[in-house]
Amino acid sequence: MIYEELAFLLIAAVAIVTALNALLVRELVHTILWVAIFFIDLAALYFLLLAPFLGVLELGVYAGAVTILLLFGVMVTRKRIFSREAATGIGPAPVALAGLSLAFVLLGTEELPQSGSVVHSYDPALLSAQLFNADGPWLILLGLAMLSALAGAIYLVREGRE
Amino acid sequence: MTGLSFALDYAWLVPLSTLVAFVIVGLAGNRLKRLEWGGWVAVAGAFVAMVVGLLVAAAEMMGPGTYTDQSFTWLSVPGSPGTFPNGVNLVMGVLVDPLSALMLIVVTVVGFLVMLYSIGYMHHDRGLPRYYAELSLFLTAMNGLVLSDNLLEFFLFWELVGVCSYFLIGFYYEKPSAASAAKEAFLVTRVGDVLFLLGIFLYFATFATSGPGAGWAASGFKFANGTQPFLAGISGGNSTTLTIAGLLMLAGAAGKSAQFPLHVWLPDAMEGPTTVSALIHAATMVAAGVYLLAVTSIFLGFTATDQLAIVAIGGFTCFFAATMAVVNTDIKRVIAYSTISQLGYMVLAVGAGVTMVGMYHLFTHAFFKALLFLAAGSVIHAVGTQDLRKMGGLWKKLPITGLAFLFGALSLSGFPFTSGFLSKDDILGSVLAATSAHPLYWPFFLLALLTVFLTAYYIFRAFFLAFGGPAPRDPALPEAHEGPWVMRLPLIVLSALALGAGWLAFYPPFASLLAGGGVPPSFSATDLALSAVSFGLVLGGIGLAYALFGNGRMVEVPAGSAADRVRSVLLNRYYFKAGYDWIGLRAVYGFSRAADFVERYVIDGTIRGIERAFARGSDQLRKVQTGIVSDYAAYVIGGLVGFLLLLLVVAPWIVAHLGGS
Amino acid sequence: MSAFSPAGLLALSGGLLAIGLFGILTRRNFILLLISVEIAINAAVLNFVYFAAFSGSASALSGQAIAVVLIGLAATEVAVGLAIVLALNRLRGSINVAEANALKS
Repeated sequence: MIYEELAFLLIAAVAIVTALNALLVRELVHTILWVAIFFIDLAALYFLLLAPFLGVLELGVYAGAVTILLLFGVMVTRKRIFSREAATGIGPAPVALAGLSLAFVLLGTEELPQSGSVVHSYDPALLSAQLFNADGPWLILLGLAMLSALAGAIYLVREGRE
Repeated sequence: MTGLSFALDYAWLVPLSTLVAFVIVGLAGNRLKRLEWGGWVAVAGAFVAMVVGLLVAAAEMMGPGTYTDQSFTWLSVPGSPGTFPNGVNLVMGVLVDPLSALMLIVVTVVGFLVMLYSIGYMHHDRGLPRYYAELSLFLTAMNGLVLSDNLLEFFLFWELVGVCSYFLIGFYYEKPSAASAAKEAFLVTRVGDVLFLLGIFLYFATFATSGPGAGWAASGFKFANGTQPFLAGISGGNSTTLTIAGLLMLAGAAGKSAQFPLHVWLPDAMEGPTTVSALIHAATMVAAGVYLLAVTSIFLGFTATDQLAIVAIGGFTCFFAATMAVVNTDIKRVIAYSTISQLGYMVLAVGAGVTMVGMYHLFTHAFFKALLFLAAGSVIHAVGTQDLRKMGGLWKKLPITGLAFLFGALSLSGFPFTSGFLSKDDILGSVLAATSAHPLYWPFFLLALLTVFLTAYYIFRAFFLAFGGPAPRDPALPEAHEGPWVMRLPLIVLSALALGAGWLAFYPPFASLLAGGGVPPSFSATDLALSAVSFGLVLGGIGLAYALFGNGRMVEVPAGSAADRVRSVLLNRYYFKAGYDWIGLRAVYGFSRAADFVERYVIDGTIRGIERAFARGSDQLRKVQTGIVSDYAAYVIGGLVGFLLLLLVVAPWIVAHLGGS
Repeated sequence: MSAFSPAGLLALSGGLLAIGLFGILTRRNFILLLISVEIAINAAVLNFVYFAAFSGSASALSGQAIAVVLIGLAATEVAVGLAIVLALNRLRGSINVAEANALKS
């Protein structure tokens, strides 16, 4: 038990630190590195929460594909890849808003049971049955959404559009 | 003789025939080959109306007291239990009863004669089709009014008559004075009309609800059958509401009949053609006010307070108007003032409770007053001026006109054995008889008696000024000559009627139209003594007029003397017109200015202020729209946080602290 | 196995959401904006996974299924977002969202 608690605390600390760092460093490439670490950290958390499929997905999609895409975006939009961003002022209003929303979430946690038990271990057959459920073929719908997003993205970046 | 009674069912032909003439002349008058033809169409319409009207009147005379009503309901409001149990029905109909039969004779006969006279008199005028169309429409409206079987229909035709009067006074609309006189007549009578309408509303409010007489509104305000005044059976006929309603009726009648204090419009109405003055502003329309009072007194009844008010108005007006006629130099205006004065007699009679005597005077007055106007018109036609000071010596040149004017003047002043004598002395006698029960009537009786003298004086002053003497005082006047036969014939017929119509009252079938007391005149010792007194006053008036103006004389009042000041007051009509103008200018205009200020600055200012606030506010609000995505995201998140605050903090707090349950 | 305290996990996801919101509100670089959104979405996905693990229901795995769909959608969104970045860069020569303020007027 105690190991899991400790693992969770470690993972949580890393997640917070990497997320903050990703937003606060002024080098875009560094940001992407920090966010890659953040995604890997989240994947570890998913493993801890008995969701190995999601962990793998997080690693593949986020830590892999999304990070590479972001890096690609940085490379395309800059003449020199390593260049610092101009410092951005941090006003009180955004901090207050973000803090308030955090406060609400914490407020909500008090209403929850303080302890619980895992009733289900990971069951790939059940998960796939739900993903390809006849009532809601989620994965197929997701595929359709991705296809239309692909079309939209191609339209946006196509040559000759001014 | 029952053979004529079928005519009673065809009374609707009377207004219809003139209406047809109106439509023909009004629509096609300008396309006729010769404009006079339109006149002959109108004359034909008036002639048919006269024949049918006389037949109807004859049938009514043969079956005394017949009450023939044909009507249909055009609006029916069902009642509801409680305060409005009987509902209201609005009807249109044709009613022939003795009173309307009498009025039919007056309106159709005078109407036809004036229409015929117009052919000659209006010969040189432009806009003839308009004239004949409007005159035909007037006859339609007047006959419709006379034949109305309920109060609302009466009011509709009353307004139609008023608008025709407006058109015809303003016939010479290029003349500013005529245009303004038309407006004045319309507005002043409108004051009375509005009060009249309020009176109808008041009757409605009283009789639409429960209680005695509740069925009257449901019957469509119909003039009830029978001679019993409607109010007699209702709460002693003396409630405050009914008194007020009666006073409102009096106000309506005062507007139409030019009674004090709404008398100012009638002298100015003489701006219209003389024929119009004869028909509308002497014989028929102005009598409608008296007719309204008569109808009200017969079918509804007046309370004692109302009667005193009517007597006061009538008695005062007849004297008041006569004083103004004394100094006037415009031949038509002298006669116009005499009209107001004579209408005052009629109102006096109705107020004194001898309604039928008033109607009797209305009947005789219509003929001799129309005669006077047509004779005056003949004079004006001949010499081209209305100024008495320029005329003179017309007796030899216009013998028929002169005789006609003389007969009219005799009848007006109440010279014995003329129509006017019979009816006027009947009024004086009846009012004198009423004073025994109502001592408050005394001053008004005396005023009326004094008016006899004034009347004889001013009308013979006009007569001597116009016809007396060897030659016109103004040599520039054109050579006078009599008009064509269409002008002479009505003068002759009306002369006969002016002298003899009053004697019809001694013909029992005719007297049945005026049944109800006082007609025909009686000749008791008191009456004879009164007649002697009034004859003395008449002779005195004529003598004074002859002494001052006879044989070509014309007395000039020295300027600046007391008499001259009196004359100035009288010529300025006691400054009533100026006073009304002042009210209109200062009070109403001032009020309008104030209203304008409120409109401009308070109301518009508020609106502009709101507008400006929105404009400025949106200028400020525009700055929110930075176009930067992050800001919009901030608004979204801010809204979400605000909503959560409301949901999770504010609402629970309110529930905890304020919500009882 | 019994679990660690749910409050801690929820606090973690709430904190990540706050960080994401903070980034969305303050960053002016479009790519950083996208990254902020991704962090916020991941915080939400974390909640689904967490409740899938700890709920008492038999069909609790549907939380994981939703999480799968969400990850897919988020990846799609990044793809479209990057397409917008490229278009914006070509159109304006900059990916600073403060300069893309054509909505203002």
